[in-house]
Amino acid sequence: MDIRKRRYALVIDSRKCINCKACAVACKAENEVAVGNTRNWINEDRQGEYPKLRIDFEPEQCHHCEHPSCVRVCPTGASWQRKDGIVLVAADDCIGCRYCMIACPYDARYFQEETGTVGKCTLCSHRIDKGNIPACVETCPSKVRVFGDLEDPTSRIHELLATRRYHVKEPQTGNGPQLYYLL
Amino acid sequence: MHEFNWGLLIVVYLFLGGLSAGLFFAAGLANYLEVDGRPAYPRIAQVGAWLAPWPVALGSGLLILDLGNWYRFYKLFMHFRWESPMSIGSWLLTLFTVLAFVYAFAWLPEAGRQKLFSKVPPAWKLVHRLNVDLSAHRKTLAMIGFPLSIGVGIYTGVLLGAVSARPFWNTNLVAQMFLFSALSSGAAALLLVLALDKKRPADQRDLKFLVWMDVIFISLELFIILPYLIHGQLSVLAVKQALTLILGGPYTLVFWVFFLGLGLLVPLGIEISELAPSLLKGQPFHGDRRLALTASGLVLMGGFLLRYIFVYAGQLSSFRQAGVLQ
Ligand code: SF4
Ligand code: SF4
Repeated sequence: MDIRKRRYALVIDSRKCINCKACAVACKAENEVAVGNTRNWINEDRQGEYPKLRIDFEPEQCHHCEHPSCVRVCPTGASWQRKDGIVLVAADDCIGCRYCMIACPYDARYFQEETGTVGKCTLCSHRIDKGNIPACVETCPSKVRVFGDLEDPTSRIHELLATRRYHVKEPQTGNGPQLYYLL
Repeated sequence: MHEFNWGLLIVVYLFLGGLSAGLFFAAGLANYLEVDGRPAYPRIAQVGAWLAPWPVALGSGLLILDLGNWYRFYKLFMHFRWESPMSIGSWLLTLFTVLAFVYAFAWLPEAGRQKLFSKVPPAWKLVHRLNVDLSAHRKTLAMIGFPLSIGVGIYTGVLLGAVSARPFWNTNLVAQMFLFSALSSGAAALLLVLALDKKRPADQRDLKFLVWMDVIFISLELFIILPYLIHGQLSVLAVKQALTLILGGPYTLVFWVFFLGLGLLVPLGIEISELAPSLLKGQPFHGDRRLALTASGLVLMGGFLLRYIFVYAGQLSSFRQAGVLQ
C-alpha cells in the first residue's frame, strides 16, 4: 500500500488501564528518553475520599493531530508531519525556540536541556516503518492500547471505532487529535 | 507548578521590539508632519531616529541567546513559513532593524558622519562607499518605515495571539493591544529622554506633541483592554476561565494595580491634566518636567508589565483542567 493512503492512530480503552506504567517505561527504554522527560503518561482522575474512592486512569501522549498546531507555528519547519499522519521533530533543524511546546494544547512536548531541542512521541515511527507496532502498545499488559491504520478497513482500530462509542480530547482546539478513547 | 517555556527574556524582547516600533513611528511622524516645508518637530524626529534601532537590536540579540541552540538561529532565515508568526516576525524584525539603522544614519549631521568614517581604515574602500548623505531621503525612509514599524508592533502581539492552544491569548484583540502599547511606549520614551536632557531643555511644542500622542495611544489601548475583558467574559468557557488569571488569580494585582492603574490610568490622568489648560482655556501649554518624567516612566513600566502579564498568564491558560494549569 502506498504510504499516502495510511493514517496511523491509537485507540485507547482507558477503563482497562491499571496504572502499571509499563508503557511509559517501555517508551523510555525504546527511545532512550532522558531522565526527567516523558513522552507518554497516565492521567489520574480522583473522585471522592477513601473508602469511597474512585480513580480513573487514562494514558495520554502526543495525539498526532490531523492539523497539528505545533507544526503550524514552527518557524524553521523542524516540526513536521508525515503523510501517514505521524508528527515528528527534525532535531537538526530545531533551534529550541519552544514555540511548538506553547502551541500544543495537550502539552505533549518537552525540552531537552542537553541538546537544546524539543522532543516528543514519535509513535515509534522507526518500528512502524519496519512493520512493527509502537513499544507502548506492545508492552501494555491489559491491552489498553490498539495501534493501527485508519485507512485500512480490515484493521482492528477500524473495527473498534465502527462498533464502539469513543471520544477525542478537547476537539474544540481544532487540532483533530488522533488518540481515540473508547467510552 | 506548571513550567514556563517562555520567560523573562521573551518579555524583554517583546517590550524592546515594541519600543523600537513606537520610537520609529513617533520620530517618523515628527519628520513627516511639516510646517512651511520643514519637519514640524525636528528634535523629536532626530532623537527618535537615533534611538529607534537600538532596543530592537538588543532585544533580538537576547532572543537569540534564549534559544536552545542559539548558533542555529540562521535557520530562521533559511525558510519562510507564512503560517508561523515567528517566521514572518523574524523577517519583519530584520527588515525593520536594518531600515531603522539606515534611518538613524540618515539623521547623522555631516560632521558626525565624517567623524564616524574617519575611524574606518582607508583601505576598506567598500565601507567608505557607504559614506553618503541620505538626509534628502529621510521622508522616503520614514514612509517605508511606517508600515514596518506598525507591523513589528502588531507582530509582538500576534506571536501570542495566534496560539490557538492558549485561550488567554487567542483573541484578535491582543495584536492591537500590543500595537497601541508599543506606540505609546515610544512616545513616552521620547518624552522621558527630552525631559531628562537638562543641558538643552525641551521645547514646549515638542513636549506637547509627545504628550498628545501618548494620550491618544493610551486611550486607544484602553479601548482595546475593555472589550478584551468584556469579550472574554462573554466568550466560550475556556476563555472565561483563562481570564480568572487576572480576575482573582495570580496576576490580578499586577494587572489591575500596577499595569492598568499605575501604568495606564495614572499617566493618562497626568498627561490630560497637563493638556487641560491649553485645551479648555486656550492657555499656552506648559509642561512640568517632573510630571513628564513621572508619566513617561510609568507608561514604560506599564508597557513592560503588559508583556509580562501576557507572556506568563497566557502560558498558564489551557483548554484543559478548568482553563488554568496548576
Ligand atoms: S498533540 Fe501536540 S505535539 Fe502532538 S501533534 Fe498535536 S499539537 Fe503537535
Ligand atoms: S522548538 Fe524546534 S521544533 Fe519547536 S517550534 Fe522551535 S524550532 Fe520548531
